[in-house]
Amino acid sequence: MRQAGAYSKLVSGGRSGPHALPLARIKKIMKNSSEEVKMISGEAPIVFSKACELFIEELTKRAWAMTLQGKRRTMQREDVASAVITTDLFDFLITLVSDSVPAQESLPVLEP
Amino acid sequence: MESGGSSNPKHKSNTTRTPNSGIVIREPSAAPANIPGNVADLNPEQTFKRDPDQYMPIANVIRIMRRILPAHAKIADDAKETIQECVSEFIGFITSEANEKCHREYRKTITPDDVLSAMGTLGFENYIEPLTVYLNKYRAQDPERAPMQHLPLVRRGATLVQPRLVAQTSVARPPPPQLPSQPTMRFAPPPPGTFAVDGRNYVELPQIGDYFVGNEGGGEGSSGNYQYDPYRQFR
Repeated sequence: MRQAGAYSKLVSGGRSGPHALPLARIKKIMKNSSEEVKMISGEAPIVFSKACELFIEELTKRAWAMTLQGKRRTMQREDVASAVITTDLFDFLITLVSDSVPAQESLPVLEP
Repeated sequence: MESGGSSNPKHKSNTTRTPNSGIVIREPSAAPANIPGNVADLNPEQTFKRDPDQYMPIANVIRIMRRILPAHAKIADDAKETIQECVSEFIGFITSEANEKCHREYRKTITPDDVLSAMGTLGFENYIEPLTVYLNKYRAQDPERAPMQHLPLVRRGATLVQPRLVAQTSVARPPPPQLPSQPTMRFAPPPPGTFAVDGRNYVELPQIGDYFVGNEGGGEGSSGNYQYDPYRQFR
């Protein structure tokens, strides 16, 4: 991952150099998402680095609102699930958060 | 390393990379993946482990969450993990759409524009503007990656700037300290032939946003003599 020059850190507060999320990991996740993903431009993970920040912030805000509704101070998984269910934008996550049992029910099916 | 055996592009199912390592990926129940030969090798105790490689590091996720939450807030571990999983799902979701766009247009490489366009399609249009700003800032500060490295950099109302060795600038930055030899200038390249001034690194600048190629007119005379002040609001 490239580092910004010393000068940019000086004037921009340093956030523009190393990204908040590791680019190599982002790239790996992108590739894992589909067999068909072959080539990814170098800048695409950078966009995702920031996009994931925005996403985490939004999801966290909404989940915390659920926590407050429940008059609690500890955010639970159910708060995240409620936030997903009540937000149309997060429909793609519904399957993910509605798994209440980890792994056991989702063992892959063997091909005959 | 490529993932293999995935039958459903919408749901990630990390598979055959390390067939007998005992690491199993948690998979959404709606997307059973076909992993021939691997399941039989796995013990039940090992099916609950999560492969860290398919998620963002949890410390990073938590740090971003804490920026939003009040200081006294606590986060249960399973909430953290859930958000971690959601992030990966988000990346996969957008990437799939971006990839489809590439296919439709007979291109092979997913570009940032594809990503942004996919976000617009999938309802994340609010993200597009801040991401565009972020990407431009990044390109301004890491010119090795920028597509336009060698074009001369000019601001409105300024004369042609030397194409190389220009002080880094960005829209959102306050003006740097003035160069000693040119007290009226804010951003200016060092005189030809000099490199580092005060130990700072000068790098090439690409064209971004307001920057124009070529001479905008309203010339101030010979190069090296500038009176533009694009950052007047920062005074």
